[in-house]
Amino acid sequence: MSYRVRLEMFEGPLDLLLYLIQVNEIDVYDIPIAKITQEYLGCLAGMEDLDLEIAGEFLVLAATLIHIKSKMLIPVQESVAEGESADDPRQELVERLLEYRRFKEAAMKFEELEAGQALLYVRPADTAAPIAEGPLEVSLSALLRAFTAIMQRTPEARAVEITPDTINVGERMVTVLDRLTLQSPVSFLALFDGVTTRALLIATFLGLLELLRRGLVRARQSDPGSEITIYRTVEAVVGADGHPG
Amino acid sequence: MDTPADLGPIGVLEALLFVSEAPLPLERIEEVLDGCSRAEVSRLLADLQEKYRQPDRGLVVTEVAGGYRLATKPEVAPWVQRLRGSKPARLSRAALETLALIAYKQPITKIEIEAIRGVMVDGVVKTLVERDLIRILGRKPEVGRPILYGTSRSFLEYFGFKDLSELPTMKEIEALTPSPVPEDTNRGATEKEASDEAVDQTEKAE
Repeated sequence: MSYRVRLEMFEGPLDLLLYLIQVNEIDVYDIPIAKITQEYLGCLAGMEDLDLEIAGEFLVLAATLIHIKSKMLIPVQESVAEGESADDPRQELVERLLEYRRFKEAAMKFEELEAGQALLYVRPADTAAPIAEGPLEVSLSALLRAFTAIMQRTPEARAVEITPDTINVGERMVTVLDRLTLQSPVSFLALFDGVTTRALLIATFLGLLELLRRGLVRARQSDPGSEITIYRTVEAVVGADGHPG
Repeated sequence: MDTPADLGPIGVLEALLFVSEAPLPLERIEEVLDGCSRAEVSRLLADLQEKYRQPDRGLVVTEVAGGYRLATKPEVAPWVQRLRGSKPARLSRAALETLALIAYKQPITKIEIEAIRGVMVDGVVKTLVERDLIRILGRKPEVGRPILYGTSRSFLEYFGFKDLSELPTMKEIEALTPSPVPEDTNRGATEKEASDEAVDQTEKAE
């Protein structure tokens, strides 16, 4: 075959294999392994300056192909052929290919739908939404981003000897709740005021996550990127252990 | 619901849809239009949809992601785009493939996605989480407690699905591209068989 392919065109090794099967008009249920392995390796040969991680993924399938090819060279034992038909060494690969092809096709359908929806415009999210009663929601990733920002502004602790038990997440939970009893809502950043070491910051954050999980406090972000506010859930009892969040 | 004589309930409904940022569920409309039954709300929505269907209107009321929303008609897209600028970049093929996998196989872990796609998906999954198209459903109770992913409500909105049952079935998708199986020559006669086979394959995939 005299076509040239670039690996970047493919979403992965299975995509490349499907392509080779298609251009060679091969029946996916009866793949000539020797021929397709040769073609596949030929494509890989031209990828010298490719990302090593990607190349690795392509090489795994190359190894699989060679393994299947070697298995097919072994003559089938008569005794096996008597009972049920011997397992085709290609079967697993065929199943993987068919499964991958299904989702590749589903992706194409999704792309079509995406294009259709891209023509519809809806009201943009109101950036000045007031914080009010109602469901209070913030995603974990937004919380983590906010926490990373706090970690970055706090310098790495100097080498001080700290015994592990001086930091206690449970104690930090109580501190956070006490703070919220005095004032609620309070901004996410303000919760970390006066917390100076990174270890304490982490313990405070873990405590906050635990409080959120237990439903004792709630977090809200009015829109992506804006400040996160922490609320104390009304009538919450500190000892409400095992209370579902 | 009582409205002034010169404003019908359809006008109120229109206003509700206009101010809503997210698709408005039927139950919520029913709640706000105090005194209207579910059936009456449905009829009002149908009437409003009919009004917007007229060629001199630029909007359309569609049912998506478990609610109703006002959107611009596709035909006016060129002008709206000139006013608002283009939408965020479309998803890459890698993102679409991964998203399709998650949509059909949720809850699913990253390892399971990688097994089917044959490539690493860390970056793609991160992008999809950031774009709020997928969300973390929990952890799989097995060694390492890997994170389970599923699609979000924004996913339904993004592709215009009412709910997950509206996803094209695997059968419909397989019908998109004829498989290069030789039996295809006798398509008319074997159509029934072929669709049965597709069902089998879908079941196997689950």
